[in-house]
Amino acid sequence: MTHRKKASRAFAAIGLAALTALATQASEAQGGEAEGATSTVPLKTSWDVPNLQGTWDFRTATRLNRPSQFKDKEFLTEEEVAEWEERVAEDHQAALERSAADEPSQGDVDGGYDFIFIDVGTKYEGTRRTSLIVDPPDGRMPARTRYSLMRAAENREDWEHRPITPADRPPATRCLVGFNSGPPMSSGAYNNNMRIVQSPGYVAILNEMVNDHRVIATNGGEHLSDNVRLWKGDSRGRWEGDTLVVETTNFTPHTSFNGSGPNMHLTERFTRMDVDTLRYEYTIDDPESFEAPWSTQQDMRRTDDEIYEYACHEGNRAMHLMLAGARKEEREGKPDGEGWLPTWYRGLPKKQDLLAAAEAAEEGEGGEGEE
Amino acid sequence: MLNWIARTVGAAAAVLLLATACETPAPPPPEPESNVYAVPKTPDGDPDFNGIWQALGSAHWDLEDHAARQGPAPLLGALGAIPAGRSVVEDGTIPYQDWALAKRAENLADWVRLDPAVKCFMPGIPRATYMPFPFQFVQSTDVILAAYEFTSSTRMIYLDRPGTEAELPSWMGHSLGRFEGDQLVVEVTAQVPETWFDSSGNFHSEELKVVERYTRTGPDTLHYEATMEDPKVFTRPWKIAMPLYRRLEPGAQILEYKCIEFAEYATYGHLYPQDENE
Repeated sequence: MTHRKKASRAFAAIGLAALTALATQASEAQGGEAEGATSTVPLKTSWDVPNLQGTWDFRTATRLNRPSQFKDKEFLTEEEVAEWEERVAEDHQAALERSAADEPSQGDVDGGYDFIFIDVGTKYEGTRRTSLIVDPPDGRMPARTRYSLMRAAENREDWEHRPITPADRPPATRCLVGFNSGPPMSSGAYNNNMRIVQSPGYVAILNEMVNDHRVIATNGGEHLSDNVRLWKGDSRGRWEGDTLVVETTNFTPHTSFNGSGPNMHLTERFTRMDVDTLRYEYTIDDPESFEAPWSTQQDMRRTDDEIYEYACHEGNRAMHLMLAGARKEEREGKPDGEGWLPTWYRGLPKKQDLLAAAEAAEEGEGGEGEE
Repeated sequence: MLNWIARTVGAAAAVLLLATACETPAPPPPEPESNVYAVPKTPDGDPDFNGIWQALGSAHWDLEDHAARQGPAPLLGALGAIPAGRSVVEDGTIPYQDWALAKRAENLADWVRLDPAVKCFMPGIPRATYMPFPFQFVQSTDVILAAYEFTSSTRMIYLDRPGTEAELPSWMGHSLGRFEGDQLVVEVTAQVPETWFDSSGNFHSEELKVVERYTRTGPDTLHYEATMEDPKVFTRPWKIAMPLYRRLEPGAQILEYKCIEFAEYATYGHLYPQDENE
């Protein structure tokens, strides 16, 4: 992608939204290198800790969950990867052409996005794994608990309706958090990049998405008291060999990643494999929300692209328009309706399906972040 | 009376000193080490600005001299009023062009509606420095990441790309840093014209250029200066100065002040249903 494209995107920051669904996970994988490649370059900072610095691209065409057609297959062959990438590229090209032809679509109406703006990954992970999830071994997220599904049903209920205030829209639409900046970071519809800056004792991560920083102390320390809840959680770091391990807890009740809850215990691992590759792994341990912990692995690629200032809230015209539209509908006596649900949620389970699934689901452990 | 005596004695001493200076060769200069702080260096040998810093005072309310006054939230009583403060502007007042002075007055009269920080917009430079919230410098070899607690805003101060220009204007601007001796000098350009300097309507145009100077004055203090140049709004460049202090309490860290949720009513309240407005 060109600087110009990214620049116009950064400038045109509009109300974004939880595009996670649409955003199938992606980065340009590191061209077929064998797993575990190590560099001969001494990758240490001048104060002798592993040097993770650089701007990193985390787009990927590899899905979070293993697609059902791959069943028990953990790895693709090179030919299958090529085939997959070709299909992704074709889909992308078709979407670009539709956008260029300016065919109206609901996505252009309720999101204002087209495929000039959208910037998903088109390259498969170099490991050729069929999913980013490496544990459980079936490559799929463990079952969600009743609590997690009930939360999803409530959100769906809220977001299907005409907003009274911004609080009735998803947090990403309000620009409180990015839909892909996490933590954990996940390949999404656009702004899939971040820059790491280090100083003695700290690792800072600047995500382009909502221009948000995390300043992580590498000498760990105690997490904040339980009553202090942060949108991005409270991150504590430590070095394990050449790997930065970051543990994050204390999320807000509104923060959710693929069904996680406020008591998610997130462990991220950052390892620089070589000059151009940053291995990113995370484990989600949230017994209130998932029947088992789950873990992923992805390789981020170094990029020379810039991190632009994504002034999401400052440019959130969409929120003005949504609220003005809601008031107009009320004045005209129009019925409330599903049109308020953002396009990218529409393929996901409906409220009644979520409630039915919740009925059948396990209760989940009520404990807080216990093993 | 005492003042008069002090002045007279002072003047006499000055005359005496002057006379002495004329008669004899100048004495050797005092040892500079005696009162100059030895600035710690980073592992790369640059002056070290790492840390969590914060301004004290009420410059974020008003850069110029101001008395305490009623705030816009009378419900908050004594906690919601605006505290008094001395001017941080060199020579006291900002040298506005006539039209701009009138515009400042309009801004002030309607500041609650117009102040971009009320809406939780990124404050820009220099305002981010003296908002009543901490910020952290994460200083690496070729860049300093400045992480501000207020609305989690961020800017990169690039040490490795002198002479470059921003591709686009932005809320926090394009920051190019360099070291002059032990001083960190940051030139900030390409800021959008929507940011203000304080809550009293002090403003600028898109032509604003800010030169910031950070100087370590002790283990836990910085001296901060910023010179503003904007030929569209001011008659000449002008300067503010203030100390910054290190946050020393155990466990100090940049927390979240994601004020969007607190500012939604201020930003979108006119679009809430009528009964929500009351």
